[in-house]
Amino acid sequence: MQYKTISEELVALKFRKSIEREMEEYFESMGYKIIVPDMFLSFDDFLLSKVRQDSEETVKVLGGDSRIYILRPDSTTNILGKIFSKWEGKPPLKVYYNSRVFKNTPNGNIMENHQMGVESLGDNPQEADWEILAMAITLMEGLKTPYVLELGSSKYLDSYLKDLRMDNRDELEIRGLLAKKSRHELEAKLEGLGLEDSLLSVILDMEGSVEEVIQKARSNYLNKEMEASLDALESLTGFLDKNKLLAGVDLDLSMIPDLDYYDGIIFKGYCQDTPKKVLSGGRYDRLTQKFGVSVSAIGFMIDMDLATQLRYREGRL
Amino acid sequence: MKQVTIALAKGRLGEKGLELFKNTEMEIIKDKNSRKLVFENQEESITYIFVKPSDVITYVEKGVADLGIVGKDMILEEDKEVYELMDLDYGKCYFAIAGFKDQTTVKKNDVLRIASKYPNYVKRIFKDRGQRVEVIKLGGSIELAPVIGLSDLIVDIVETGNTLRENGLVVLEKLDSISARLIANKSSYRLKNKSIKRILKIIGGDQ
Repeated sequence: MQYKTISEELVALKFRKSIEREMEEYFESMGYKIIVPDMFLSFDDFLLSKVRQDSEETVKVLGGDSRIYILRPDSTTNILGKIFSKWEGKPPLKVYYNSRVFKNTPNGNIMENHQMGVESLGDNPQEADWEILAMAITLMEGLKTPYVLELGSSKYLDSYLKDLRMDNRDELEIRGLLAKKSRHELEAKLEGLGLEDSLLSVILDMEGSVEEVIQKARSNYLNKEMEASLDALESLTGFLDKNKLLAGVDLDLSMIPDLDYYDGIIFKGYCQDTPKKVLSGGRYDRLTQKFGVSVSAIGFMIDMDLATQLRYREGRL
Repeated sequence: MKQVTIALAKGRLGEKGLELFKNTEMEIIKDKNSRKLVFENQEESITYIFVKPSDVITYVEKGVADLGIVGKDMILEEDKEVYELMDLDYGKCYFAIAGFKDQTTVKKNDVLRIASKYPNYVKRIFKDRGQRVEVIKLGGSIELAPVIGLSDLIVDIVETGNTLRENGLVVLEKLDSISARLIANKSSYRLKNKSIKRILKIIGGDQ
């Protein structure tokens, strides 16, 4: 943001800092410890890891050794690399970060995004799901603006698609159409594949209030893994309900995660009059295998630029 | 229910979109010659804003409009983060590569020059094929480009093919089908879900 006078800028900065502190204190009070991701990463390592596809967007820097480095494009994978090089998976590790990520925009500017987030590693999966979601919702509540937390489970759809054993390209196309909620194109595609009576033809309707959606899903086709994913969602929402944190939650079983390493619960937080998601996260056990271990892992990230704007607009601290 | 803002394209696509709300509680009376750009229905449950066709998606992505009615051609060109909730089944046409009869759409080891109003779309299509292209962005009269030697081919939307024929061009290859779509901002979709579902019902969705 640009300010006309230095005093205006200082006031805004102070405001921003106070929100950061408030969140840091909250994370610490929940038993999370701060971790600082590296600023520079080797571009070669980044390409080799293949965790993310957006190499064109990364901001490159030339090192003194004439090798290319990038400014960190995200926090989570960065932190995981750091942790798993010296941690065996026990005892459970809970960390939070307060950092900035960088990317090139199509118009040639370098964009900086301030993010804070938490990662819970190696904990009992159910307890971690509960804790992380409760924290995410508490933070959304703290923004003091009407919000909706969209909640789903990537396992539900993944294991159904695995059952169908369809062509890779068809599956990708269907995922793309679901991500856009493009009902009519999806119908046409399913008809072409002879799947017009399958679960996929009704999955876009599996969204809304928790009870309704779970009921709908239970009366439709289920395999074991799908059932397990519904059980997990039900126990999670039951826990949230008991703690009066369920009012802003909408279930959506057709959710497609933005990053394909999520496997399990996924969620996104939206606020009124804010066009983009403010918070997002999910379970990513599978990703930890890339680092040579296999542990339970879940976390979320909150976009501090948006969160600060929201709080600033509301004028409430 | 929460108030919803819908962005419509000025011109035929938007006027037809407005007709979808005729004889419903969301109807508005709009003088054809009016220059006004913002309209509300009587009970103020919906606000219509009329914008340039190529801007509809931007309004929706930035959240100043919750919904928008826009051609699939614009969606393919802009590639923005919005939901495509409904195919409105009008404004039907298709993207096509056009040029002179018997011309090929490949130029091995050379750059193919293509004139179009849709540079991003063209780049994407030919990148997938491994064909190098130079896209010449024009604002209109695309058919002229090959005729006067500005480009080898054109990529444009084709409805009847009359304009192409009259300029001595033919469709060499059909690409994506196009029609008017109802799009939604992702945040609005959640925060104003009830109102948006109501609108989907009104304009004849199947939910």
